[in-house]
Amino acid sequence: MMSTRHGAIGSIILLLLAFTAIVAPLIAPYHPLQQTAASLAPPSGDFYFGTDNIGRDVFSLILYGARSSLMVGFGAALAALLVGGTIGIVAGYFRGPVEMVLMRVIELFQTLPVIMLVLCAVALFGSNFWLLIAAVALAIWPMEARLVYGQYIKLRERDFISAARVADFSTSHIIFREILPNAVQPVIVQVALDASIAILIEAGLGFLGLSDPSMVSWGQLLFVAQDYMDTAWWMSVFPGAAICIAIIGLNLFADGLNEIVDPRSARGMGGLQ
Amino acid sequence: MLRYILQRALYALPLMLVIIVVMFTLLHLIPGDPVQALVGDYPVPPAYRQAIEEKYRLNDPFLTQVWNYVTAVVQGDFGYSYQNQRPVLSLILERAPRTILLASVGFAFAIPLGMAIGVITGTTRSSTTDKIWTTSALIAYAIPTFWLGQLLVMFFALRLGWFPTQGIGPLVSRAHGFDWILERGRYLALPALAFAIHEGMRFARIMRASVIDTLSQGYIITARSKGLTRGQIIRRHVLRNSSLPLVTVAGYAFGSALSGAVLLETVFTWPGLGLLMVDSIRLRDNLTVVGVVIFSAVAVVLMNLLVDILYAMLDPRIRTGG
Repeated sequence: MMSTRHGAIGSIILLLLAFTAIVAPLIAPYHPLQQTAASLAPPSGDFYFGTDNIGRDVFSLILYGARSSLMVGFGAALAALLVGGTIGIVAGYFRGPVEMVLMRVIELFQTLPVIMLVLCAVALFGSNFWLLIAAVALAIWPMEARLVYGQYIKLRERDFISAARVADFSTSHIIFREILPNAVQPVIVQVALDASIAILIEAGLGFLGLSDPSMVSWGQLLFVAQDYMDTAWWMSVFPGAAICIAIIGLNLFADGLNEIVDPRSARGMGGLQ
Repeated sequence: MLRYILQRALYALPLMLVIIVVMFTLLHLIPGDPVQALVGDYPVPPAYRQAIEEKYRLNDPFLTQVWNYVTAVVQGDFGYSYQNQRPVLSLILERAPRTILLASVGFAFAIPLGMAIGVITGTTRSSTTDKIWTTSALIAYAIPTFWLGQLLVMFFALRLGWFPTQGIGPLVSRAHGFDWILERGRYLALPALAFAIHEGMRFARIMRASVIDTLSQGYIITARSKGLTRGQIIRRHVLRNSSLPLVTVAGYAFGSALSGAVLLETVFTWPGLGLLMVDSIRLRDNLTVVGVVIFSAVAVVLMNLLVDILYAMLDPRIRTGG
């Protein structure tokens, strides 16, 4: 991972973020919900990133916000991997009418304004932490499914799979022991990219005031900042920058992974093109 | 040709039905009283309760209810919004043109922007251009549109005072003709800019990849050996052949534009479909929320159908090939 420059920068950003999320209570100068007397105070030595409308320290809020962003980001990416992966395997390996139906479903999800669907789900069923993960996963699983599907379609025709069939290995053995190890590499890269999209969607939900109200999140901070843009630029600038840094970190990380997994495509920015 | 159009239309029809059925099922899955779930947090008048129960026959089997809902929606009956005291459809029809205006002005700037950046970065293979491109593409990708919107408002509207911070126009306007357009344009400028930057960078990525692909084709070598200049090759061969993938993506970008509109319209309080959806969510006006989703989804399906047909007319290979 450290051998590529992008990968190295990405890994460092991710490690720092994860570290921040874990030790937030130790390094945050204030409790995120603690209201100080100084409301809307600009950045200073006491409050590095200023304070918000009710006197909470924006720097501490951002440190704690890393938790929900990373958890929802990776949680949704893993959930999408599970759902999308299963569907991709079933469609790609068994083919036939199942493939037809599943591919139509994937296409449906890829053409729909999915953010609206996610919003709708959250609006109708509420937004606790787990529902949020499920809703975000709803938006990103088709990408994962498509990728896994492509891998399985390609690999199932290879000679070593025919050999495994002739050798009378069970279907589950062929799917999980023969094909999966060969299919998994690009999928890992996609999971990192999915996590970055999930963080963006989570931020969007937070910005609309639909994230879990019991957790601090970066999007939620931007939601509050919306009403104070004329007086407190710091309420918007710093949380937004935090989101950007997380997304950049994940994409560089995915890029580094990609160079390791597939050295031939090592012309940078694999995920973005 | 007619056969192809019919074929595509037949494919789009079940898609739209599925969308309506899924949305109704979602509504149905909300725990508690279904009539209350339809109306949201607004107190349900007894007469309306009776009307809804009759219309969707809420005591009938689920499939009958679905059928009733589908037939109502197909006839344009999305229900009545008590929060707004208006039928949902009239709300949607009032808001939709504003979203379309925002998106089309945004696209009108995003497409040439994306093409220009894509061609420049795709044809210039120096490490400096590459570095600048990679960095700006990454940053553009990482900036959430709504944050970009907030930054634009804080800088151009609040600091410099060039543009209004929000809304679609002044409350009272005496402007006429060209002045009126200018006045409206100032309100449109920032949301359209945010939209154009975001989508434009996406288009630039696709265009760049496509340009690089085109450059490796045989006819470029032929053109070069014919002695055409760089500019001629780019104009006559590269630009034309690289644009098709971009056109495809731009055509299908309607769905993502609608999704993006939800966030952008909220930043700029632009009263389009997206803001209608967000406001309805806050008011717990479920019928309107579901109405907007169905309307948008059907619009996307129809738009994609239109794009497919346009292609078939432009490029005969698609008609016969697939």
